Amino acid sequence: MSGLWPLTVRELKKWIRNPTFFFTGLIQPIFWIALFGSAFDITKFFPSASGSPLLSGAPNYITYIVGGVLTTMGLFTAMFAGTQIIFDRRLGPMGRFLSSPIRRSSIVFSKIISSVIRIMPQVVILVIAAYLIPNGLKFVHGFTVLDVLVLATAIILVAFIFSSIFSVIATRMTNMQSIFGIVNLVNLPLMFVSFAMFSKEMMANWLADIAQYNPVSWSAESIRMVIINGNLTASQWMQVGRWLGALAALAAGLLLLTAYLAEKEIRD
Amino acid sequence: MTTIIETRNLTKIYGGHTRAVADLNLSINEGEIYGLAGPNGAGKTTTINMLITRIAPTKGTAIVAGFDIVKKSLEVRRVIGVVPQDFTADEDLTGRENIMMVSQFYDVPRAKARENVENLLKLVDLEDAADRLVRTYSGGMRKRLELIIGLVHDPRVLFLDEPTLGLDIQTRTQMWNYVRDIQKKLGVTIILTSHYLEEIDALADRVSIIDHGKVLITGTPAELKGSLKGDIINLTLSDQKGVDIMKTMPDVIEVADAGPNAVRIKVANADEALPRVINYISSHELSTVKLTVEKPSLDEVFLEYTGRSIRDDEGGADARKMAMNLRRART
Repeated sequence: MSGLWPLTVRELKKWIRNPTFFFTGLIQPIFWIALFGSAFDITKFFPSASGSPLLSGAPNYITYIVGGVLTTMGLFTAMFAGTQIIFDRRLGPMGRFLSSPIRRSSIVFSKIISSVIRIMPQVVILVIAAYLIPNGLKFVHGFTVLDVLVLATAIILVAFIFSSIFSVIATRMTNMQSIFGIVNLVNLPLMFVSFAMFSKEMMANWLADIAQYNPVSWSAESIRMVIINGNLTASQWMQVGRWLGALAALAAGLLLLTAYLAEKEIRD
Repeated sequence: MTTIIETRNLTKIYGGHTRAVADLNLSINEGEIYGLAGPNGAGKTTTINMLITRIAPTKGTAIVAGFDIVKKSLEVRRVIGVVPQDFTADEDLTGRENIMMVSQFYDVPRAKARENVENLLKLVDLEDAADRLVRTYSGGMRKRLELIIGLVHDPRVLFLDEPTLGLDIQTRTQMWNYVRDIQKKLGVTIILTSHYLEEIDALADRVSIIDHGKVLITGTPAELKGSLKGDIINLTLSDQKGVDIMKTMPDVIEVADAGPNAVRIKVANADEALPRVINYISSHELSTVKLTVEKPSLDEVFLEYTGRSIRDDEGGADARKMAMNLRRART
């Protein structure tokens, strides 16, 4: 009745069958970690930074930045979740969906869920790539199943949050350029006004003040915490819990908002 | 005969004052093909969109297969099939995948859906193309696919909005046969809107002509054509004197000038009147240059009731849509 399952399967079929879409998505993480890991390597700017508070105790910059790159990659992929809604409207399938006895929110949630699923293999590839490159990711204090769960939860929540926001925006849009315009307007600010690439200590105070409320920071910091420290202390767990809790609360709010707006606002 | 659709003062007002549909009352019988004809902006599509619960009426309501479109919209959607003007199939999936996906929208059990798909594909001769991506279909094939996608859940009513818009004559005639077949084999009630009045004439059991959101007249195509009370005999003579003599001819409805040396004679039935006209000509020793008989088509009926030709405003949105569909479909 709800239509969520067939619509999500459709999205995933389209993804896997489009070789360009599929393979560029898989190569992207390798590019990102290799390029960002070198380009922003603060230990090159300040040779004394190694092991200093600037890297929060990480052995090298790649280890420090992995959480940030994972999060931004999730963010960038998620921001395009809405474009499929506009394509469906322009190419006709939306008309079919709207005259079928399915929940209208299923149309939007199918985009969000498939977008979250598409990010998963990218996450795996990125972690492997980061591990394999010279002077790459090092798990100095071990990496437990619990840490993997933290990493996965953070990415899924971030992907869900931004997929929802951009899908909701797209429910009323008919023009592809508008959504690209919005994506371009906010993608770099979301990435740089966060602790994804640099620590608080390296930022202007006003920037750090804003960055601490950016969901990108919450995800990047919780992943960083488990990657650098392995087995966390109780107070570190508390901190990770706060970040993930904030992400979950935001995701839950957006879930309700999306369900409400999609039922009400989605048009042909 | 049972009524399957009944509209009760169905009204849609846009922006507080534009009355797209005004107190529309229609009654459609189960199992018939019912045509809705009208110029662009007459309210056809708005009416259909309300009946398929895509938009809500401002006032009034309709009962579709026993369900109120306002109060029971979900139930209505489950018992109707829709074939919109535009292509709605996903080009990146195969024909079969599209049909199966829509079957799932209606919760058709998988085994039943598979069986339906085979039958439907056979019905419109798409078995061979079923596993190809829709992107590779021709315009006619895509229309046929749309037709059966609307039928996956054995609907009681099928809405066909401009089923042959943008297709060539040959493909159109072929589509008509498919539509007739579907009606005959599945017994489904079909609501058909079309720009092509000959299409409605060829397919519909009954037709309503709509303009300014109101029904102007309803009847079988034969009744409507009959209602014009008259066929036309066009006669061109060799001189004006002959024209004057023709105007005195008795037992005709009307004789009017129709250009230089020409008259337009309106008669109840041309087949019966023609011998009398010829006798009259020869008894007055007139010489004729040209003689033609015009039987009214639905186009004339349309002209009579709406005061304009249906072709007048074809440069509008539909034509643009048609051009877009054609560009998208490889023909």
